[in-house]
Amino acid sequence: MTATGDLARQKGRGGPSPAVIPVLIFAPCLIVYLVLFVWPQLSLLTTSAFDKGQLSGVHYVRFLGDEYYWELLGRTLLLGVCVTLITLVLGVPVAYVLARMQSRMAALLLILTTFPLLVSAVVRSFGWMVLFFRDGIVSNTLQALGLVDHPLQLMYTLTGVIIALAQVLLPLMVLTLHGVFKSIDPDLEFAAMSLGASPPLALCLVTLRLARSGIVAGSLLVFSLAISAFATPGLVGGARANVMATAIYEQTIEMLDWPFASTLATVLLVFVLALSLLYGAALDRRAKSESVA
Amino acid sequence: MTFDHISRRQVLTGLAALGTLPVLSSRLSAAESFSGRSLVSSGFGGSTMDIIHKAVFDPFDKATGAKSTQVPMQSAAALARLKSEAGNPQIDMFQFSGGQEDAAKKEGLTQPLTSVAQLNAIPAEMKDPDGHWVTWAVIGEGIVYRKDKIKEPPRSYKDFLKPEYKGHVAFPAITNGYGMDFLVMLARAFGGGEVNIEPGFEAMRKLKGETIFKAASDLPSLFGQGDIWIMPYDTGNAFKVQSSGLPVAFATPEEGSPAVNITAVVAKGAKNADVANAAIDYMLRPEAQIEIARHMRWTASNPNTKLPDDLASEVPNVAQLAKLDRSIINEKRPEWTERWNREIAR
Repeated sequence: MTATGDLARQKGRGGPSPAVIPVLIFAPCLIVYLVLFVWPQLSLLTTSAFDKGQLSGVHYVRFLGDEYYWELLGRTLLLGVCVTLITLVLGVPVAYVLARMQSRMAALLLILTTFPLLVSAVVRSFGWMVLFFRDGIVSNTLQALGLVDHPLQLMYTLTGVIIALAQVLLPLMVLTLHGVFKSIDPDLEFAAMSLGASPPLALCLVTLRLARSGIVAGSLLVFSLAISAFATPGLVGGARANVMATAIYEQTIEMLDWPFASTLATVLLVFVLALSLLYGAALDRRAKSESVA
Repeated sequence: MTFDHISRRQVLTGLAALGTLPVLSSRLSAAESFSGRSLVSSGFGGSTMDIIHKAVFDPFDKATGAKSTQVPMQSAAALARLKSEAGNPQIDMFQFSGGQEDAAKKEGLTQPLTSVAQLNAIPAEMKDPDGHWVTWAVIGEGIVYRKDKIKEPPRSYKDFLKPEYKGHVAFPAITNGYGMDFLVMLARAFGGGEVNIEPGFEAMRKLKGETIFKAASDLPSLFGQGDIWIMPYDTGNAFKVQSSGLPVAFATPEEGSPAVNITAVVAKGAKNADVANAAIDYMLRPEAQIEIARHMRWTASNPNTKLPDDLASEVPNVAQLAKLDRSIINEKRPEWTERWNREIAR
């Protein structure tokens, strides 16, 4: 708010000076960010730190002293890690092939990969329900193939949630990696091969290593979306695959315990932030140590 | 003369003379006309909301000239919304199905109903003594089962533990209102009740391995693809699943059918409180209640409602429903939910 006031005054003095221009450009984004992110986040933090009008850590004590909530947090982080790994394993080859493809089909195929994003989370979850129930297609097919000997229930399980989330988040991984692979000169691979590296080794030593920033970005994107996802865990996971996002909903809407809901939200944010920083730093350190060597 | 200059009375007499709205002229002669006014109510979403709209709000709008809209939200979310907009509600009228009207009144979020003539006809236990809320419909809960898999209609909540149904039972999570009622009814069936919930948890622990679901929207899939034969649910949803072509039926348990009251309140400070009061009066009329019973299989709360024979056989009579002590349940809700999350869903 002050920023706009200052700007108005600046304008009154006859146009902004060149030094103000970056501020001007940055201001709308900053205001939106402050109003829609920083301020709510702070009020969330305040809500979680008060009990009956008194500054108190009682809600955090309740969380930290209860293994049920640790389990909840652990399940949420496990969900994030599994979804990230699956999308990485499936996404890297797809993104690489699409980036190196010479055909005109490449653009079309890239658009095709984004299709899961065009379907609403609710509709997509209902689709998975049809597949995941005990008498559904997945269970019946696996039984017909003799891979399982009893009806398989993926509905209302964490495994089901992981599969459903991996499907919808895969396009984000592919798109992120595609851009990075596209920017790596294929000649670098040829150079490595001309120096004696086999094609797979050239891919590992040169391309994947150069794509590391993309892998970090894609992983963080997928991880943070997976752990904060609400509709899919709620619909596919149900009561047994409770995660932080659904627990926050339950505390807010069903129990009307807003301070504890804020506590859950804050704890989740802190853990995600810490994990992301560690992950980013670890990859960064490796990159540095390698470049020195 | 433009339309704006025509007085309300002129329009009404004109229309009545044309014979287009005989109902309006005869029934609402004393009631206000709300032409140009709007009414925003919370609604239950999905087909339930659409049916309620057709059965109640459409005829109300037609009769009064008001423009009613329902905003879909679950009862708990509706209370949260009412709470967050306290003092300046964007929604005039709220409908609850989980006993939230009590909390809303206690927190001072509602105002007493005024000039709702039908209120006198409603039994005392179905309305607030201070007139803050009124039950306008009742949903009977009981046992919903697959007729083709279970030949003998189930009779008791104890039947859920029968070994032959093992692996084919589903029940709603405790955050779903029916899940809470299921816990209480299991407790009652095994010698406990609202004050002694232990037998309920004990029985439910034996169902730990069964399917737990959260929302009514899962019902068709559960009966269709989930290989589920029996679950505790209500007449309305049993009827919906039945209408979709699945062979399910509703059975009234001998312990009694717990009843869910569908209530209406007017938000404190509502801009269209007068329209909301008139709408509530309309909802309580026998003709509106018959429509609700016809399309939803919900029980009428107005004892003056005489259902046609074909409906009366399928909709439980309000006098036959079990009454749960909602104040104890609401008080214990956080405690039981925490316990349920740990002992049953884990």
